[in-house]
Amino acid sequence: MRGRHPGATLERTSSEALTPPSMAVLALTRLAFGPTSAEIAAFDALGGSDLARLTAWVDQQLNPAAIADTACNARLAASGFSTLGKTLTQLFTDHHVADPEWYERIRPATETELATWTRAVYSKRQLFEVMVDFWHNHFNVYAWEFIEAPLWVHHDRDVIRANALGNFRQMLEAVVKSPAMLIYLDNYINFAAELDGDPVGSNENFAREMIELHCLGAENSHGNLPREQVPGYPNPTGYCQQDVVDVARALTGWTFAIDWVQWDCPEGLDNDGHFFYCEEMHDTLPKQVLGTTIPGGGTAASDGHAVLDRLASHPAAGRFIARKLCRRLVGDFPPQSLVDSAAALFTAQWQAPDQIRQVVRHIVLSNEFRTTWGEKVKRPFEIAASALRAGGANFPFTTFVADEDAVNSFHWYFEAGGQALFSWHPPNGYPDVRGAWQSANPRVALWRLVNWLVEEDGAGNDRFLDIVGATLASPARSATAIVDFWMPRIYGRALAGADRDELIDFMAAGHNPTFALPIDTNDWPDYTQDRLRTLVGLMFMSPEFLWR
Amino acid sequence: MFQPTRRGFVVGCSTAIASLAGSRFNSFAFAQGGGNGGAVNDEILVVLFLRGGQDGLNLIVPTGGASNDRQHYELARPNLRVPLSGAGAALPLGTLGATTFGMHPGAAPLHELFQDGKLSIVTACGMAANERSHFDSMNWMELGTPGVSNITNGWLTRHFQSADNLPSEIIMPSLAVGGTQTISLLASYDTINLSSVDSFSLSTGPWAWRSPQRTALRHLYASGTSFLHQTGLQALDAVDIIELYASGAYTPANGAVYPQTWFGENLRTIAQMTKLDLGLRVATLDLGGWDTHENQGNAGGGMYAGLVEELAQGLGALYTDLDGAGAANYTQRLTVVVMSEFGRRVFENADSGTDHGHGNNMLVLSGNATGGLHGTWPGLADAQLNDGDVEVTTDFRRVLSEILIRRLGNPHLGTVFPGYQAYSPIGVVSGVDLPPIGADLFTDGFESGDPGHWSAVGS
Repeated sequence: MRGRHPGATLERTSSEALTPPSMAVLALTRLAFGPTSAEIAAFDALGGSDLARLTAWVDQQLNPAAIADTACNARLAASGFSTLGKTLTQLFTDHHVADPEWYERIRPATETELATWTRAVYSKRQLFEVMVDFWHNHFNVYAWEFIEAPLWVHHDRDVIRANALGNFRQMLEAVVKSPAMLIYLDNYINFAAELDGDPVGSNENFAREMIELHCLGAENSHGNLPREQVPGYPNPTGYCQQDVVDVARALTGWTFAIDWVQWDCPEGLDNDGHFFYCEEMHDTLPKQVLGTTIPGGGTAASDGHAVLDRLASHPAAGRFIARKLCRRLVGDFPPQSLVDSAAALFTAQWQAPDQIRQVVRHIVLSNEFRTTWGEKVKRPFEIAASALRAGGANFPFTTFVADEDAVNSFHWYFEAGGQALFSWHPPNGYPDVRGAWQSANPRVALWRLVNWLVEEDGAGNDRFLDIVGATLASPARSATAIVDFWMPRIYGRALAGADRDELIDFMAAGHNPTFALPIDTNDWPDYTQDRLRTLVGLMFMSPEFLWR
Repeated sequence: MFQPTRRGFVVGCSTAIASLAGSRFNSFAFAQGGGNGGAVNDEILVVLFLRGGQDGLNLIVPTGGASNDRQHYELARPNLRVPLSGAGAALPLGTLGATTFGMHPGAAPLHELFQDGKLSIVTACGMAANERSHFDSMNWMELGTPGVSNITNGWLTRHFQSADNLPSEIIMPSLAVGGTQTISLLASYDTINLSSVDSFSLSTGPWAWRSPQRTALRHLYASGTSFLHQTGLQALDAVDIIELYASGAYTPANGAVYPQTWFGENLRTIAQMTKLDLGLRVATLDLGGWDTHENQGNAGGGMYAGLVEELAQGLGALYTDLDGAGAANYTQRLTVVVMSEFGRRVFENADSGTDHGHGNNMLVLSGNATGGLHGTWPGLADAQLNDGDVEVTTDFRRVLSEILIRRLGNPHLGTVFPGYQAYSPIGVVSGVDLPPIGADLFTDGFESGDPGHWSAVGS
């Protein structure tokens, strides 16, 4: 028991010598939702050196369409989902206009969530899934709302997934036009000021967050400084409040067809959810954004496009997004050299259709990527998904069918950890640094979840993870052999020393660790199969499983 | 390598924790009242953060007076204003400067506490740093360093580091109620962070092996010194403490009724932990949803009024629950401070909402409050506004510093709020004024690039 002096800050050695795992495990831990034995073997067969193997694997992953994803697709097809193929108009009509019961209203969000879990665990397009998660958080929208939930399939599929490895400028425009985002940050009711005589006018909620969170980063905010005083003006290095107001004005009239705005927008009478430019709402007076004048008389489209071009091509956007990508893919405190080179590439390629793919490739093939280990710790989503992957889970991410209870329990345990998918309310997305997730509540919640996963099904069989079956199929029978069998599966490598001894000690439970254990039985008083399951749970709960 | 079994070793380290239980009873002997020089301080500070930018102008509302602020307010808020009479009229508070104020009618329980002198209201608080970003503003307030994000611990963490009037060991010095630990307690490694007492246990996995698994888990986390190992031990300790002391039902005292919401549950948890006498000194919690850009409603109902009612009912229940006699007179040791990252714009927007503003009120609820309206009200005339927003005339650190010195007896402002100068008390709580100590006592914890730091830009 440590002393509990109330002011104690513990020694926090960031540089404790952690031995990195193999390149396969390192890559599959940070660029995927955790390694599996099969994927480690496949990675290791890709070339003659770490760099060759990594390069080959990354190039495969960055061309996800060329990866056959049969098993994952079969799972999705068998899941009983009914909304993932619907168009925006179908989603809007069926799940909003028809005003169904709540669970039908949110079904597109529920099915997207379950499909996201399915893909994180079973898809072979792992880096793509990691990037989808990154962009969902970068352009965060809280999904479980009245309008957002019915449209969630569209937002996920046509806005985030369609652009996850493409071009940022194009993705940004898709995000602005996404009805889920238009509702979430209010731009759908962003009117020109004179429309109702309001002295202030337009709703600047979206404009502010787009500049700050989507493009330039708050570190480039100059607050209320007059625009002419921002360093570098008329090519300012950052933005000020006047830019926020003028970006909001430029985006007036970017709205979508929902009956609530019909009185302002005759084009919107369809009430079918489609995006359109409502010129009646648009502020046509001149604007100035980041030193660039937008002359008066423009349309909603021309003014908005000018703003998006200006933001997406600004070097601060390159730096901000490159740093976030490095933080996600490399470490919490990525080397400045890597951030700088990735930022330069991002900005130079801002019009390239594969801009994001190029930048990701640059980052993950860098020396910095290959030599960084343990700066990051898995967050709840990564803990849960990687445990399911390592444990060879057959988990039913389906809905409204027989296994609903299991799915509900899974979500109940998982959500207590604070990272339920598409559930972060503020627009900045879940924190991506380890300090945010290491307090007791998320830690205990995920311990509870992974230990629930290893429980048997009530009839003495493995419920979700193939623990007893996989062990029985192996030659491992003694406590030592069983631990040595499971360590590479769960950790991606064998541990030596005290941690291995601790696991063996647990599994031996007082017996000689070299003696064969009766793992074909689960009888009193030894409950050997339960002990084996608990061992696997213990490994999921241990520090070694959590490093990234 | 044959080793004896550890089966039979009962849960984790509960015997070790039990050996600390002596300090549980020390709390009865603590000197009453803060700021008593060398005496042990037993004050409890609860910091409630209203996430999203609470519209302070509709909570503490200009209602008249010699100034024209009521007229400015009515012009700026044709749809959202709280009326002076009739249904939903503002509850009278008093006068500050040339302006009289009232309280949103949904805040009736807070109004009662104000009338009893238990609630001090400080108007126009905030940061001189002109920032209307939720995320920078929250970070800077909770780190306690306006304009500086690369500091590695929260202001409450530094309070614990610098306070020299606390016992050497406390079982539960601080509690962060919610999904994750608040930034104000960033890098405090003995804070217990939980969102629900009921589900804060290691109660999954095959039943027969839970206890030895827990022992082995502790050994695995004790086998290293990394950040991950230490925070894992922190979580295991927290589980042991809650299991040992806080299992079982909790019934609020004095008929207190908490809102049936997460916020209400969180306040209940704080009251429960306070009464366990485990030495609780600081608790944090949040109430979110204040980012009312559209259809925020007025005094007659709507989103904002609902939040105000939840806030006021919750704080009223907490105060009632803790307002016992004798050793149960916790309110004599309690100070609750309510803050938000910024106020909202004076003019409502085109969508019957309000955009991000600047100055805002802070509320201080305490058995030792002086009560009343405080601060320097800047006025609502155009020339008095900061770019359309209420000006900031009181640094938020000034309010917190007064509580630190007068109630918590910690004058180390240079450590808690590095760079903050020229403190003087406003008089929101009673207590002894100690001369502020400006020099930073500790240099550890201020390094940049520390691994515990998570308030980095864009996170």
